Parts: sequence; structure tokens; C-alpha cells
Amino acid sequence: MNQSGLPTPPPTSATSTTSPAQSSSNAAGQSASDVSLASIVATITSTSSPSQLNQYLRSCASKDVREVLLASILPGSQDPLTLLNTRDHTLGMLYILSARLHTVASDKPLWHHIESFCRDFIPEHARVAPDRVTLLATGIRQLAEVEGNPKLAIAPLSDLLAKYPPTLSHLTTIHPIFLTICVATRHFSAAIPVLAHSITTIDLSLSDLTYHDNLVYHYAGGIALAALKNWSAAEELFEICASSPGTAASAIQMEALKKLVLVQLIYRGKTSPPSKYMHPILMRLFKATPYASFTNAYPLQRDYLRTIVENEQQLFTNERTLGLITQALDRAPRWAIKKLTTTYLTLHLSDIGREVGISDENKVKSLILSMIECSEISAELSADGTVSFSDPPVKFEKTDVDRVLSQAQQQDALLVRLEKEMERNKEYLTKAVKSKDDAAWGPAMDEDGAFGDRPSGNWAEDMSFA
Amino acid sequence: MEIDYIENEVSILQPPAAQRRRIRPVDDAHPFDLDAYISGYSGRTALDRLVHIISTCPTLAPQALKLAFAQIEELRDPTLYQTVMNAYDAVADLPEVQLPPTSELYPVNTVWCEEVTKKNQAERTKLEVELKTYSNNMIKESIRMGHRDLGDFYRATGDYTQALKHYTKSREFCSTSQHVLDMCLSVLELVIEQRNYSHISSYVFKAEGALDTANAAAASNSTAGSAAPPPKRSAERDQVQSKLDFAMALFHLGQANYEKAAQLFLKIGPPDSLGDWIGKLVAPGDFAVYGTLCALASMSRSAIKSQLTGNAIFSAYIEQEPYVRDLTQSYLSSDFKNVLELLERYSTRHYVDIHIYSHVYDLTNLIRNVAVVLYFQPFQTIRLDRMSAAFGWTVDEVEKEVVALIQSGQIQGRVDSQNKILKARKVDHRAELFARAIKTAAEIQSTNRKLLLRMRLQQADLVVKPPKSRREQDRAAELLQVD
Repeated sequence: MNQSGLPTPPPTSATSTTSPAQSSSNAAGQSASDVSLASIVATITSTSSPSQLNQYLRSCASKDVREVLLASILPGSQDPLTLLNTRDHTLGMLYILSARLHTVASDKPLWHHIESFCRDFIPEHARVAPDRVTLLATGIRQLAEVEGNPKLAIAPLSDLLAKYPPTLSHLTTIHPIFLTICVATRHFSAAIPVLAHSITTIDLSLSDLTYHDNLVYHYAGGIALAALKNWSAAEELFEICASSPGTAASAIQMEALKKLVLVQLIYRGKTSPPSKYMHPILMRLFKATPYASFTNAYPLQRDYLRTIVENEQQLFTNERTLGLITQALDRAPRWAIKKLTTTYLTLHLSDIGREVGISDENKVKSLILSMIECSEISAELSADGTVSFSDPPVKFEKTDVDRVLSQAQQQDALLVRLEKEMERNKEYLTKAVKSKDDAAWGPAMDEDGAFGDRPSGNWAEDMSFA
Repeated sequence: MEIDYIENEVSILQPPAAQRRRIRPVDDAHPFDLDAYISGYSGRTALDRLVHIISTCPTLAPQALKLAFAQIEELRDPTLYQTVMNAYDAVADLPEVQLPPTSELYPVNTVWCEEVTKKNQAERTKLEVELKTYSNNMIKESIRMGHRDLGDFYRATGDYTQALKHYTKSREFCSTSQHVLDMCLSVLELVIEQRNYSHISSYVFKAEGALDTANAAAASNSTAGSAAPPPKRSAERDQVQSKLDFAMALFHLGQANYEKAAQLFLKIGPPDSLGDWIGKLVAPGDFAVYGTLCALASMSRSAIKSQLTGNAIFSAYIEQEPYVRDLTQSYLSSDFKNVLELLERYSTRHYVDIHIYSHVYDLTNLIRNVAVVLYFQPFQTIRLDRMSAAFGWTVDEVEKEVVALIQSGQIQGRVDSQNKILKARKVDHRAELFARAIKTAAEIQSTNRKLLLRMRLQQADLVVKPPKSRREQDRAAELLQVD
């Protein structure tokens, strides 16, 4: 996981800027009326500048005609794709592939074309036409679904996603598509390389994003990580989804909140207070669901928890949360025992069983043993059934501290850089100057200075150490 | 301890919040002298207290009923007969209580009832006519007095809502801050009698405001005139201030804010500063009980020492209830067993009090918790059987108590359940600091990352918007179905 939040370079940054060798002047001279696929292909092969070509491909013929043309094949049933190669004609192939994937009557492009394109395309060229990239991605998913084998889409989309954005910290429209396929086909581990980089950058010129893309990506990512039992990362993604900014609340956010709470119960044994950025209506709606009563009863009232699960089984199954609920229920006695360690030094197995509601002493024993093995508690079990709890040993290496310090410094540097960027920002300057005119310069500066300004190193001062 | 809950259907004077009430025994272990107790009160509050005693202590009910009937004839409210009898019948209906029916005990003085009803009717008509005349003549001062008299009348006849209405209405016609002060004090008497604690604070604040203005006016007068008036003035102020302190203390008590209540109770001036409120609303012994219980439950040992035992004025109140002094002394000398025994012994005395009865249970618990915490403080480890000897509980009770306190975070320790030992927790501050620093660092980083993303999302306007068209809704639904 990229802890620092810094943009990371993509693993395959082989960005060869070799532009097509051929150059010709007839690109702009094409008349809009007499276009044919042959002439388009000719222009593709002859135009060197991607933006010029994009302009041409976007404006030749009317919209419907253009898509049909792009999706057709050359006279003599020759596939235009065989005439083009990915390295030289990225943009052209992108247009043809995306058109063909979306036109009903057209011959579908062969998988190897798609795969080779996704592997070898030149990202700089493709970025000229972000809408076509989105079309390509949705097309790949549709094609795979039509063929009844959604798994086929994972490999090309993964390649596409790895190359297209400048860094994996940029959100693109491919992210949510890729993640939903991974989750739907239960290929969770395929998503790990993508999820390892948290999203920190949004660039609308790179991809025509909507707020759904953001929500769906983080929601599906959370599901994938939760399925892989990477609870802390799943918690973060669900939280990002649930507390995304907005004037209204989305149904996706509601689902994310439910799963967030369950993940917290599994991972921490309790819920943390909701983020203050969360839309207030979400929490209100949540309180009316069985999840809320489940949370309140967790982890001590196990019988009650079990009744909730039994009564609401249908709901949990419909909402696809039964798995998480069951895991949370299974872990409930562990959290109850963990609570006991802070109160007791020694306790007999039968007492523990009574406290957590398990009557069978052997079960308690095996539970305690497994908890000791996972080092969830530090305890000793003596022959007569007495458990002695001890404080978990705390160890801190110098390297740990150094690591934390260097991360803090990185973070500080990042914030200082952002601060400077912000100060160069035209909108900000206009506002700052305006507030200076209003003779409110002093306090305004103070507020703005909340991010940087201070000597580096003490930005954490105002964190409460309560 | 016999504990039995019955719903409070007895008194219509109670605030609507369903208070639970206990039946208290009166015997050698729980002494309570009704005659001595009730002789400290007069008027309406004596009756209210008798009603409360009837429903709390069945053993005293017939005696209290007799006293109540005698008391009613000194008042002007015939409906009180019904109130008293309702309370009595409710207790007599309880399965475990054997009481003779009211009709066998004392007769209702019907002649008196009719007479008083007639008289009340006549007086109300008279006062209303007077008020109407004044209103027509637009004489401000007379209108104020008219409202005030009607307020007094309604209060005497038990119609609290009408009384409050007229008192508050009289405020519009007040011309000096003294009048406002008088009005506020009347309302305070009314709401305290009614035990409507939540109303108290606003009238106390109003009264304090009026008091300040009155004082400022007096000061400016006195600089012009002779030097004689100011001392008299300030004595008057002290008197009002004591009343306000008492009212405010009751307010905090009503809100279960025991620490503030304790501070105010301990601040109250000498008995004569409360004027006619002593007896009419409260007895000096009550202050000793209220103040001490609240202080023991909420204040630190040093604060109790300096503010309670070293308080000359408060000692005067404690004289009225000598056991309270024993209570404080035992507490300060860490004789907690005695503290708890005293609390149990005088629990009936506490439960029959109309102001504090609903808090006795909580206060007792708090005092017990404080006692356990204080007892354990000097120890590194202690055997539970020693604690049980010191508190007079069984070892199991001690363990339960201690575990509850550990879980609520009041005792920093752990129980060795096998060997019955309580051990103080050892904290490795260095390790704790490191752990917290590293945890905080991780939290800040994650928060930063999330905030930056949020900022970027907002900059790009990728915020959740309410659906504008059908298409968008479909898309949302489709996306939800996919996963």
C-alpha cells in the first residue's frame, strides 16, 4: 500500500514517444461528405499528430454514420485492424475498436486484437480521446458478458488500467469497471495491484468521470479487500465511499456504510464514530436498519445477536452481507474475551464461558488457545483450567520510529508542495486579494495558513493526545 | 433491603415523568420520627410531604393521613382531600400492605369543604372583577397587584397553571426591578412547590438580572443621599441571593447534576437569610442532607474537607441532622463500612423527602463507588477479603463492584479472580507514548490522504447529487446490481 499518498509512477512506464513515421498533408483536406472506411484508415496511417487525428475522427461524417463506418470492414472483407499496428496507430485503433464494440450489427473484434491493443497502446495518444477509452472499457465488459465469460475481460482491462493513467493514483473510468468485474467474477486478487495505490488525484481531462465512478470504485474495492480479509484497507475504502462529498446521499454510500460497520466489528470489535463528512441522512437511515441493533448488541449479547441474524436472514442474504455478518458473529466471543483481559488477571475457563455465553468449557479452551496463537491476547493456560492474562509485550524498534518519522516528513513535504500550488492558483489569489481589499487580510491569512506556513515538523501539534 | 417498584399514579402534583417509587420500611433499623419531621414544615409543603410519606411508608400511612387531614383545614383547597385519599388508597391496594380503609379512620369534614368552596368562589369573583376594573382604568400598578393577588389565590387553591399564568402576566406591568424580583420569587416558590425543576433556572436568571438593576439603582441613590441605606440593602440582597442559590441548587439536583448542586447547597447563607422559605418550602435539616449527600457523591475528598467540614454556616444546618456529621466524619476517616451503614440506616429518611427521593438510589451508588475507589487508591495490590471486611460485603459482592468500576474506568487495576486479589495496573508510559505516537502518525496520514481525495473530488465537482433524471437513477440501479 502506498502509505504516503504520493502519486506513484505506473509499473510500465515505457512511454515511447515515437510518433508515426509517415507524415502527410491530406488529413485536413478530407471532405466530410465522401468519407469511407478506406479514407479513414488512410488518414489514420498518414496523420502524425494525435490531436489533429482526433479532431478529424471526431468530426468526419455525422455521429451515427461515423460509428457505423468505423465499425464496418473494408471492401474485400478485409479487417482494417490488420492493416494498423498498435504502436503506430493507437488512436485510430482505439476509435475503431470502441465503435465496433458498441455497434450492434458489427463484427465483434477478435479478442487477440483487444488484448494486444491493451498491452501495447501508447498512453499519451490514447489520452487525447478519454471518452473513447471509456467506451472501449465498457465495450470489453459487455463483450465478455455476451460471450458468457466475464472473466475474459479481466486481463485486457488490467493491462489497460496499468498503462492508461500517468500514475495509479489517478482515478479513471476504467477503475470502477475493472473492479466490478473482479468482484462479480470473484477474482479478488486480480485487483490487488490496483488497490495497493490509493486514489489521490482526480483529473477530469484524463477521464470523463462522474461521482458514480468514484463511489463504485471505492465500494467494489472495499468488497474485494474485505473478501481477501484485508480489513484495515477495506475499512478505509468503505469509509471513503460512505463519506464522499455530496449534497445528497447515494444508495451505494448506504451499502458502503453497512459494510463499513460490519468490517469494523470484525476488525476492531466495535465501531468507530462516523466520519464528520458523512452525509447526516446516512446515519439516520442506518439507525433504522437491523445492522444498527446488531452493532449495539455487539459483542456481549450473543444470543440476541443470533436472533437478529436468524430473523433478518432474508434481508442479509439479499443485501449480500450475510458472510460479513456471520464472520462478525463468529468473532464476537473473541472480542468479549479481549475485554476481559483488561479487567482480570486470572480467570477460570468456566467463568470466561459464563461471561461470553459459551457453556462448553472445551470450546472456550480451544477459543482461548487459538486467540493466543494469533497473538490476539497474551495469556497462559494452566492445567487446572485457570487462564492468566498478561499485558501484551510492547516492542518498538528504532527502525519503526525512523520509518514513521520519514513518512511524516514525506507527508509534510507533500502538504507544503500542495500549499504552494494552492498559492499559485488563480482562483485562490483572486479571493485572497479581494479579502485584502476588504481589510480582512489578517484573519484570512491565519485561516489559510492552517496547512503550511508553520515551520515543518510541528503540524501535528494540534492533534489532541487525549 | 426490600425493593419494590410501583408506578407513580398517586399524586397529580408530580411532574409527568414516570418516577418510580420504593416502599420503605420504618423500624428499629430504619428510624424515622414522623412528628418531629413534619413539625419543621408548614402549609402546602407539609401536606405534599405527608402525601409522599403515605405512598412511601405504609406503616406510617394512617398517622400521616391523620396529620394530613388536620393540615388540610388550615389550607384553602378542598380537592386536597381527594389527593390524600387517592394516595392512601393506592398504597392500601398493594397486595403486601394491610391497611384499614380511609372511611374507618377519619371523617372528611364536609361542612368545611362546602364552606371553603363557597368562600373561594366568592373571592375569585371579587378578584377577577377588581382586575377587570383596573384593566379598564389602565392603572399599571393596580393591574400588577391584581394579577399578583389572583396568582396568590390560585396558588392557595391548588390551580398551579392559572397561578403561573397570572404571575407571569403581572410581569408586563412591573415598573421597578423590585417588582420583577418579587414576581420571580413568587414564581420560584410556586415551581419549587410544584417540583417543576426544569423551570427554575430561567426565573433564577431573571431574578438575578432584576437584583443587579435594583442594586445599581440603590447604589446611585445612596451616593446622592446618606450612607445609611447600603448595609440594609445588601442584607436584603443576601437574603434574596440565598433563596436564589437554593432554587438553583434544586434545579441542578433535579437535573442530576450533583456536583453543581453540592456547591450551591454549601454556599447557602445562614437559616434566617432564607426568610419565610424555611418551613414554607424547606427545613434547615434538609440542607444538611441535600448538601452532604451531593458533596459525598461528587466532590473530591479535599474539597469536602475544605468546603463542607470547614464551613461555619453549613455546620449550623448539620446541627439539625446530627447523623450527617457522623456520615461526613466516617467518610473523611475512611471508615466506609460505617458510611454505608449510615446511608442504609437513614435511607427511609432520604426516601421520604420529596426533593431528593428520586436521586437517593443514584447518590448512594455514587458514594459507594467513590468509597471503593478511595479505598483502593493507596494500594498496589489488595486481597478482596480485606476489602470485603472493610465494606461489610461478601467477597463476591466486592468482586462484582470492583469489576464494574474497572470496566467503567474508575479503577485502574485488574482482578486476579482465582486468588481474589485486586492489582493496580502498571503503566509503561514510554511504551504507551510510542504506541500512541505511531498510531497517531498512521491516523494523520490516512486522514490526510482521505481529505486530499475529498478536496480533489470537490474541486472536480464529483459530488453526489440528487438524481435529475430517470436515466441517472437507472444507472445507479444498474451499478448496484452489478456487484
